[in-house]
Amino acid sequence: MSAEPVIQIRNLHKSFGELTVLHGIDLSVAKGEVLAIIGPSGSGKSTLLRCINRLEDYQEGTIEFLGQSMGYDISGGRRRPLPEAVIAKRRARLGMVFQNFNLFPHKTVMENLIEGPIIVKREAREQARKRAMTLLSKVGLAEKADIYPNRLSGGQQQRAAIARALAMEPEAMLFDEPTSSLDPELVGEVLEVMKALAREGMTMVVVTHEMGFAREVAHQVVMMDRGVIVESGVPADFFSRPKEQRTRDFLSKVL
Amino acid sequence: MTYSWHLEMIWDYRQVFARGVVVTLQLTIIALACGVVLGLVFGLMRGARNWLLSMPAMIYIETFRSTPTLVQLVWIYYALPMLTGVQLSAFNSVALGLGLHTAAYLAEIFRAGVNSIDRGQMMAAKAIGMTYFQAMRRIILPQATRRMVPPFINEFATLIKLTSLGSVVAVPEILHEANNVISATFRPLEVYTAVAVVFALIACPMIFVARLLERMLTARS
Repeated sequence: MSAEPVIQIRNLHKSFGELTVLHGIDLSVAKGEVLAIIGPSGSGKSTLLRCINRLEDYQEGTIEFLGQSMGYDISGGRRRPLPEAVIAKRRARLGMVFQNFNLFPHKTVMENLIEGPIIVKREAREQARKRAMTLLSKVGLAEKADIYPNRLSGGQQQRAAIARALAMEPEAMLFDEPTSSLDPELVGEVLEVMKALAREGMTMVVVTHEMGFAREVAHQVVMMDRGVIVESGVPADFFSRPKEQRTRDFLSKVL
Repeated sequence: MTYSWHLEMIWDYRQVFARGVVVTLQLTIIALACGVVLGLVFGLMRGARNWLLSMPAMIYIETFRSTPTLVQLVWIYYALPMLTGVQLSAFNSVALGLGLHTAAYLAEIFRAGVNSIDRGQMMAAKAIGMTYFQAMRRIILPQATRRMVPPFINEFATLIKLTSLGSVVAVPEILHEANNVISATFRPLEVYTAVAVVFALIACPMIFVARLLERMLTARS
């Protein structure tokens, strides 16, 4: 792991009107690191993830991705939102996988994968198709390339969505509860794809309720509750000797 | 009372009717083009989170939806020149008025169509690095269009019929040409019946074609 973190969050505050959902978050993710974020629903985990690639705005603090600000320009003392085109460019290098897959229903699986490379990266169609095919084989969906997403099972849709994110050749990946809307028997196939990614050294931030995955794959586990980080640590310590009462309560409910 | 029909007199004036049909179609096409472009702009503005964008769009849309079309047309033809000093021709006034009118209704159709698409689609498009306009063009609008076709057809049919209001400011569309024929022949029963039939003949095939298109679009998704 290199010294320069891939994602660096400092003192992040976020509110929806009167309701504050993040009260000062500090986090750093090193290259090749897998960070698992756990915690009860409504604790701000997903909001934090969406702040990282600026799908949400935030009121205070900084988020840097590969040393560049994600969201605001604070040079010269004033805090100005970055132009949309600048954010879009930085976002393109940061993949994201959603709880509800969000595949494009009017496009085939192959078209879903090549959309970003062709439209955003201006890549040649043939080259994009070739890499998409390799990725589909990797997630076990090679023979589903020309099918529309609504013909796929939930697990297949989520694997296609992971391949779509990878097609952009991202420097890091964000996973927002990737298995939470899957039938239990389909969770395994998605976790397998994610484990393979982690083994290849992909930098990953995973919001998850899968404690087994966090324990086995993550390098760092963070527990969030009511918009703050309650506790963090390496999985071995975190799960066997949690320091905080709130972590112990939460773990006793989910384990 | 028995009325002796003389429908053959319509045939004698066929060229007058044909001229009216051409003007009606011109008005429809210009107003529709104007309405689609402006409607898309106002529809997207109306849905914006920034009130500097959404507020003007809302005022525009509600103004046009809550005033009679006839009043809008005479206002543009008679009142607007007094404000601006620019007198539009009758044809241009009606084309502009109907275009602005159609834009207000289409804006609501566009907005409803875009709103009906799951928010996750925009997030997913942005997550792969698309800008708002790329996401709209490639991801949101293609999906929304399919849902917008039925209300769009309604609006289109309404627009064809609204062109008859042009007769009030002497635009030579079908109804106005018909009134001229009546002044010459004193046969309102035949002539107005023919007017109704001609409008139906224009609108029906268009509605039919649009239905077909709708069915093709829904079959594909």
